[in-house]
Amino acid sequence: MQEYKTEHPFDITLTEEQQMTWDMLRKFAETEMRPQAREAESNGRPSADILDKIRALDLIPLIVPEAHGGMGLEQDAVSNVLALEALAYGDFSLAMSVSVPLLTTQIIAKHGSENQKVKYLPILASDSMFHIGLGLNNTSISLDPYQSNVLAEENGEEVILNGVKTGVAFADEAKTFLISASNESGECNLYFVNSDQEGLELKEKEFMGLKGLPLSEISLSNCKVDTSKKLGSHNYSINYQSLIDSSRIGMSALALGVCQAVLDYVVPYTNERVAFDEPISNRQSVAFIVADMAIEIEALRLMVYKSAALKDLGEDFHKQASLTHRFAAHHGMKIGTDGVQLLGGHGYTHEHPVELWYRNLRAIGIFEGGAGV
Amino acid sequence: MIHPLLPNQLQKTQETMRMAAEFILRPISRKYDKAEHEPPLEMEQLNQAAAAQKKDSEIADDSVKSMDLGGRNLWAVISLEQMCWGDVGLFLARPGTGLGNAAIMAVGDKDQKAKWGKRWAAMAITEPGAGSDSKNISTTAVLEDDEWLLDGEKIYVTDGDRCDCVVVWATLNKSMGKTAIRSFLVEKGTPGFTVARLEKKLGIRASDTATLIFNNCRIPRENLLGGKEEIEKDINAAKKSFGGAMQTFDNTRPMVAGMAIGLGQAALDMTRALLAEEGYKDHFGGSIHQQTAIQSELEMLEAELEAARLLVYKSAWMMDNKMPNSKEASMGKAKAGRIGNKISLKCVEICSMQGFSEDHLLEKFSRDSKILDIFEGTQQIQQLIVARQILGKSSSELK
Repeated sequence: MQEYKTEHPFDITLTEEQQMTWDMLRKFAETEMRPQAREAESNGRPSADILDKIRALDLIPLIVPEAHGGMGLEQDAVSNVLALEALAYGDFSLAMSVSVPLLTTQIIAKHGSENQKVKYLPILASDSMFHIGLGLNNTSISLDPYQSNVLAEENGEEVILNGVKTGVAFADEAKTFLISASNESGECNLYFVNSDQEGLELKEKEFMGLKGLPLSEISLSNCKVDTSKKLGSHNYSINYQSLIDSSRIGMSALALGVCQAVLDYVVPYTNERVAFDEPISNRQSVAFIVADMAIEIEALRLMVYKSAALKDLGEDFHKQASLTHRFAAHHGMKIGTDGVQLLGGHGYTHEHPVELWYRNLRAIGIFEGGAGV
Repeated sequence: MIHPLLPNQLQKTQETMRMAAEFILRPISRKYDKAEHEPPLEMEQLNQAAAAQKKDSEIADDSVKSMDLGGRNLWAVISLEQMCWGDVGLFLARPGTGLGNAAIMAVGDKDQKAKWGKRWAAMAITEPGAGSDSKNISTTAVLEDDEWLLDGEKIYVTDGDRCDCVVVWATLNKSMGKTAIRSFLVEKGTPGFTVARLEKKLGIRASDTATLIFNNCRIPRENLLGGKEEIEKDINAAKKSFGGAMQTFDNTRPMVAGMAIGLGQAALDMTRALLAEEGYKDHFGGSIHQQTAIQSELEMLEAELEAARLLVYKSAWMMDNKMPNSKEASMGKAKAGRIGNKISLKCVEICSMQGFSEDHLLEKFSRDSKILDIFEGTQQIQQLIVARQILGKSSSELK
């Protein structure tokens, strides 16, 4: 049974403020992001135009403390998952163009030393949201997700980093990287590494999905950095498991937004598409797939909400985040593949967005650190 | 505020119900699985415990205060989820409350509620020739000299033998379809009403499932529950009257779904306990490379169960807040019904010969669970309801 305490009754109602933000972001996703999804994909990055519009949402300055040039309105996890779902409804890659820098900002605001906050937060809050590249994804197939395959060897005032990270968003624009690395005792921490650091090499990579934003591999070969470059400084230790868990709630919220987009697309399609003299949705074999999509999406939404609410309560959310992420990976992909199936041959082509959503949804359960709460 | 979490008050209810399930139901679980058709007298104890709990928490009414704490329906779902963690069959065999009671409360008038609300009422809908398509029933009701004359056969009536009275669905005119269907209250002992036989079943053997025969059975005119004595000419009014009867299901489906969740949790808990004896530990959040096949499987099953649970809680919460919940009730029932069955069968497989053995209750859970994906609307009926609502289709378009 539960291991949390709360006096507040069971409730699933958005606050007035959440509803306003939701309406605004959802409209932005539909009218601004969705039409640009294909173009971003073929260019491998968002257009300057859409990035300007994303910046104008002020999502990053919003959470940066006033002392560091922001508005100081720290968002609770529930509000964060709502925003992520709304944005991903437009496009996964474009949503990540803001959710990744947002996560980076959250991490630094929460764990950074005073010096690090002073140094980086004002930059992130201004126009340079890609100033820091976040490196959490491992290249190793079988490594524990709560570990990094970059090794940190602490040597007095120095840390020597060796290994490879991948899936680093907007690495080509970054002046600094924030990279996770495990030390000999298996503790995982984050380290700031400048882009001109000796031994650091970038390689742009292509993936089956998330093509609307540039993703790179970053290899570190005997990179020597000062221990003050550790996130939170020398003696600070981050709870890396909690960081990954929080990011998994974020990724699940993004998956939710994409799944809802699939459902909202197949409903009118199957109602209009005629075969054997009637709409294909008049057949149970088609209609039941749509019903199951709706059921699993509603369930995923409640799982995401619950994980976020638990985190906001300050309770242990490891198990809930794990279950939610597992559910999102399994059912998200199922919904992605069913979306293409329902459109048949049409779904397989670029004429419709379902094949794009199919490829993007494959990232759920794999890609770590694409969004946080 | 988005807060799909249970307040402390409801957690206390859960704990109390879990204790009752563990210490009253579990010890007699196997006994009544074996002794099919023998009424489990111990269940009276449980009724008393439940009554005391209701009084303690003061949330079993519709008052404003109760809404603050979570509401009557969420309270009920949570309670019976825990009861059914103990034993679904025994829970169903608990004297006093049957599905007919839900119908009386949903469609009965003030006098009817006062007269029969506290009696144990079973619900008789299904016939040999009509199951899910309940509008096709053949049992007839004819008004004659201030009395209703009922004729027909009803099957699969839960509590049909042990109850005090039965809510019977019958048609005023079979050729008029669903617009002619009404429900009637028939008291036990009414001449012409007999219990023909009891079924032998795959599971929930503690619960009696009866075949009822109505042969020239005369009941008072005022025993018509809700609805009019004549068939409405206005098609919309007619539709509304059948819809009203079907609305009972929006209230009862979250309850049956809650049973499946309790059972699913019981199977997972028992599986973990058996595995722990052989050194098993959970590993949540690991990749499939770190997890053993069983750790991975149990994590996924737990995720599915949690998903079903939240759907069901939401559908009950909507009821408490007077929101139409037909779609959500069916979503919860569809998900919980299939996942409760999947979990319990998988747990038998995971625990191998121990799971298959009658030394433990896992095999029983896997038999009991099947009915929860059938009664109160099968998996396929739930999917139909959800699909029609999502796609905006009528029952003639999406058959």
